[in-house]
Amino acid sequence: MEHVTDKGINIRIKELQSDIGFIKDLEISVGNISREKWAEPQGPTPFPTITSLREWDKRLLARYQPFYLPFCDLCCLCTYGKCDLTGTKKGACGIQMPAQQSRIVLLAACIGAATHISHARELVTHTIKEKGREFPLNPGGLAIEVEAPVIRLVCGLKPEKLGDLEPVLEYLESQITVLLSAAHTGQEGNHIDFESKVLHAGMMDQVGMEVADLAQISAFDYPKADPDAHLVDLGMGTVDTTKPVILVIGHNVPPAISIVDYLTRTRLSEKVEVTGICCTSIDITRYTAKAKIVGPMSWQLRYIRSGIPDVIVVDEQCIRTDVLDESELIHAPFIATSEKNCLGLPDRTHDSIDAIVQDLVSGKTRGVLLLNPDMVGEVAVRVAREIAPVRKKQGRLLTPELIIEQAKECTQCKLCRRACPNDIHIPDCMKAAGKGNLSMLAGIYDDCVSCARCEEACPQDIPIHTMIISSASKATKDETFRMRAGRGAIQDVEIRKVGGPLVLGEIPGVVAFVGCANYPKGGKEVAEMAVEFARRRYIVCTSGCAAMSVGMYKDEEGKTPYERFPGSFDAGGIVNVGSCGSNAHIAGAAIKIASVFAKRNLRGNYEEIADYVYNRVGAVGVAWGAMSQKAAAIASGFWRLGIPVVVGPHGTKYRRMLLGRADHDEDWYVHDRRTGEQVYVGPVPEHLFFAAETKEEAMVMVAKLCMRPNDTSKGRAIKLTHYIDLHKRQFGTIPDDIPLYVRTLTDVPITMKEEIVKILNSWGWKENTIPDPTLLSRQVRKKER
Amino acid sequence: MFENIPGEVGLVHVGERIRKNDMYVELGGPEIKEKFELVKVRPLEDVHDGAITIVGPDLADMDSSKKYPLGILVEISGKELEADIEGVIERRIHEYTNYIEGFMHLNQRYDIWVRVSKKAYNRGFTTLKYVGMVLERLLKNELPIIERMQITFYTDAEKISPVYAEAKQSYETRDARARGLTDDDVDVFYGCALCQSFAPSHVCVVTPQRYANCGAISWFDGRAAARIDPKGPIFPIEKGECLDAEKGEFAGINESAKKRSLGEVNRVYLYSAFTYPHTSCGCFEGIAFYIPEVEGFGIVMRGYRDITVNGLAFSTMADSTAGGRQVDGFHGISLEYMRSPKFLSADGGYARVAWMPSDLKEQIKTFIPPSLADKIATEKEVKTVSELRDFLIKNTHPVIERWKTEEDAAAGEHAGAVQVFSGGDFPLTAGGFKIIFKNARIYADKVVIIPVQPKKPGTGE
Repeated sequence: MEHVTDKGINIRIKELQSDIGFIKDLEISVGNISREKWAEPQGPTPFPTITSLREWDKRLLARYQPFYLPFCDLCCLCTYGKCDLTGTKKGACGIQMPAQQSRIVLLAACIGAATHISHARELVTHTIKEKGREFPLNPGGLAIEVEAPVIRLVCGLKPEKLGDLEPVLEYLESQITVLLSAAHTGQEGNHIDFESKVLHAGMMDQVGMEVADLAQISAFDYPKADPDAHLVDLGMGTVDTTKPVILVIGHNVPPAISIVDYLTRTRLSEKVEVTGICCTSIDITRYTAKAKIVGPMSWQLRYIRSGIPDVIVVDEQCIRTDVLDESELIHAPFIATSEKNCLGLPDRTHDSIDAIVQDLVSGKTRGVLLLNPDMVGEVAVRVAREIAPVRKKQGRLLTPELIIEQAKECTQCKLCRRACPNDIHIPDCMKAAGKGNLSMLAGIYDDCVSCARCEEACPQDIPIHTMIISSASKATKDETFRMRAGRGAIQDVEIRKVGGPLVLGEIPGVVAFVGCANYPKGGKEVAEMAVEFARRRYIVCTSGCAAMSVGMYKDEEGKTPYERFPGSFDAGGIVNVGSCGSNAHIAGAAIKIASVFAKRNLRGNYEEIADYVYNRVGAVGVAWGAMSQKAAAIASGFWRLGIPVVVGPHGTKYRRMLLGRADHDEDWYVHDRRTGEQVYVGPVPEHLFFAAETKEEAMVMVAKLCMRPNDTSKGRAIKLTHYIDLHKRQFGTIPDDIPLYVRTLTDVPITMKEEIVKILNSWGWKENTIPDPTLLSRQVRKKER
Repeated sequence: MFENIPGEVGLVHVGERIRKNDMYVELGGPEIKEKFELVKVRPLEDVHDGAITIVGPDLADMDSSKKYPLGILVEISGKELEADIEGVIERRIHEYTNYIEGFMHLNQRYDIWVRVSKKAYNRGFTTLKYVGMVLERLLKNELPIIERMQITFYTDAEKISPVYAEAKQSYETRDARARGLTDDDVDVFYGCALCQSFAPSHVCVVTPQRYANCGAISWFDGRAAARIDPKGPIFPIEKGECLDAEKGEFAGINESAKKRSLGEVNRVYLYSAFTYPHTSCGCFEGIAFYIPEVEGFGIVMRGYRDITVNGLAFSTMADSTAGGRQVDGFHGISLEYMRSPKFLSADGGYARVAWMPSDLKEQIKTFIPPSLADKIATEKEVKTVSELRDFLIKNTHPVIERWKTEEDAAAGEHAGAVQVFSGGDFPLTAGGFKIIFKNARIYADKVVIIPVQPKKPGTGE
């Protein structure tokens, strides 16, 4: 091991004569030597190709065999089709159902990864233009030594400057191209190989996310791994509607930054409200505490139809594609800013700002495309200020009288309920509303994901969604919450601090609530789960729309979870890492554990580290409202790293689960690194991808999936305590699989000893050893050197 | 297990706070002078197993508007029990009573502070006997070496006084024993392999004078844990033959290290940061780092957010310290170890410490020899190694004695430890001039070394 890096050097020269000079009594003292080259030895798989980690994938997929849930039995991707693939039928190209399903999963994962990677490219190009290639990456100052764990691990690079991210992006872009090509007709035909490629796409996605967030944290000076990052306003009720209001939607923050900078430059910050939906709003509040977050992606229609925004600026990803029509209906000028989302608008990037402002204010054009983020600020602010007095916040909300009138048109055909993804009993609400009782209609507001499919389904053209949000307008005004701004990475020191409590059994695990807002029963469930696990002293992480949902909740004292729990990566903390792209930091924290505690080399060493994380780090991801292809890619990235993901019921539409078989004892053996023996460790973690029907089921599963083969007895006891306690609370019984998780009697939670020992005895349970676990035979250590 | 206790008993209730408005009654706490909890090992015949007695008013007899004294005396007996284990068991009182729903227990020893919630009281939690029952069941269940146990609660202001005095006396005796116990006094140390779940090649050796690196496990804790769970991750290590008393090398420890690390670590010096230092996982509380320029140590704890005097932050140096390796001059330590007379004793102890953060210095000032207190620099006095050198000279820190002997040695020939660059590598390319350095000292904050690429043929020059 080379460890010259940190050590000082003293040089003393009594006398030196050379052709450049004569030196006498020279002493040179060097405090810090850093080599141009990274001292860590390169691991086996820097810049892995799509097959480099295939063996690792196969190991995982053998334990967690894909369980397919075809959304559609046909393939219609080529002109042979449509081909019926039900049962064991083959399509015209020879493909069968498992391969077809995993092929679609691969397509989704590629779309998701490509989206993050192209966004990362956009941010890196933008920040390099602004700051230069030499601008240093700085995700956490002195508190962070391992600045880019994912990039180090996957690419074998140690990026130090913005320019260092470019070769990483080139690699990612090339990989996505190859992966996508594998989905062509007559290419890959085996479902396990498709699944391996899905995992590769997920890993690319994770790298892409890290690139994007490193660039923006460094260049825009966001909070740097700060547990006490500032609190920001969240919710429609926090918006000052007496001011001109700008709404930004999407994920790419430079146009929003341009707005904030223009306001600062012109000293108008106090005169105009900058509000946002989805991740752009998270990122703009990392930039300034003055901006406000309206809510998750599902708040788009609610907020726009309320008429509050005077100008709508969209960038990229997760934006309703009819948002232009919606803005037109409230007479709010519209600005698109992404080449990926032009919406048919005229490109006015090269026009004069005066002309653009005039056309937008006068209504000559309903919207413009501006591909230079720097001009967006001035256009949006000037338009907002000029149009606000004219618009007068004109929205589309209905008065109670109008709602009742509209409700009377309902024929109870129930097509709305059939169209509703959450099966909300809209017809009953309509019936009550028709009789003058709006409380039922208002009551479904929280469960509604604002897809507005009900309106599309209604043969009577009843504006159902508008009626729901209108009847709940009081609740909307009460949406005044606080959220901790996205802090970015986890400090190395924080990871060090939790090491003790983890092995001493004081922290039962790490739970990350991430992803979109396609919730089965509203965002409140996410907040309740986060609070429950924080209360139980798990480390809770969150990001993206889920981070907002966690904040949109108050306890009996009126405090949001961010006000109630600390923002540190510690027992009982709720850590908002940032936008959905900041998820890379959660993976990064798991990776850093291997570096911080075991001094495992990260560089190009994916398989070994994934094996470490999988067998030792009790982390679980929960994407309760996962909707997008990005969410699919994010989950895939976690799987390859050995971190299980639980999704809500809508997650079954991702077409397959990765489920372990607790009843197959032979699946759950590991190598003991000390002895080389094969040791049965029980089904830990039992599943890699699991869809829960209810919040209750999810919580019990999360507690269970935190168990790992390396758990100390104290650690296992506390994990079992929570698993059993949650199971008892949610289902009223002790789970029936406890003996699978008890290795020695000291694993048994002390307060439950009597009843559990009884169960163990009735099972014929036998004591087992706790190994130093690995799935990789090469990790077995030889005795003596 | 707790069927006959009103309310739940479980780990999920740990951390439950009972606020004033939700409180039925308060016992102990800042306004009550006499309160305590104490575990005593007694002869078998003196313990009436299962007895739970309340001396003074019980919960049901209490007035919500008043605060009451509280003494919890747990008397135990058993063949395997010895007085050294009392403190360890006593700390479980806090843990286990907090498992009770609607019962809040804060602090320990003579600082205890208890609240019972209205909800719990209304549910039927009307007697302290329930607390006794929970304690008895959990303690006996976890510690089968306890054969008999009786518990007495004191809530009477008069009757608590003599027992309170006994408790105070017991704490003092216990502390004196802990302070006075040296590594020489015992034959057995304890190894802790808990961290192996994350750092497979690391094992802590816990001695009376060397806490575990995490700061969470003392020799007494180790002793108790090893007795309670003989197959567990904390195990006794027979010291064996003392191979080097100064450095702290013992045959038994070497053997254990070799076995546990599968040959990665074969020798361990307990009291030195050099040659065969004790390894660290990742959860050490601080680092003793060698500063070659002053031939002394800097100390940094993990909460310190700035860069240290050598230009490196905690996180950077921690990277060189962790992972169960023996790295010369980067030594993971616990705060408690800094309170020990054996602290880096082989390397000179505090006389070798040149720098530490001011907060830390304040925290441990009673353990730094008074003659050295002003000679150790902090971030308030010096920012760089050169300033540190000046500070040490000005304050005649004992390490400067070492420089003289070094220089004497170096006068004859270059000392082996000193690295020398050849003149040819020295990047002075002032053409046409002769530069003469006399008694010059050059300090650099950072030097970047770029490997010299061999010139390709045909590329000029």
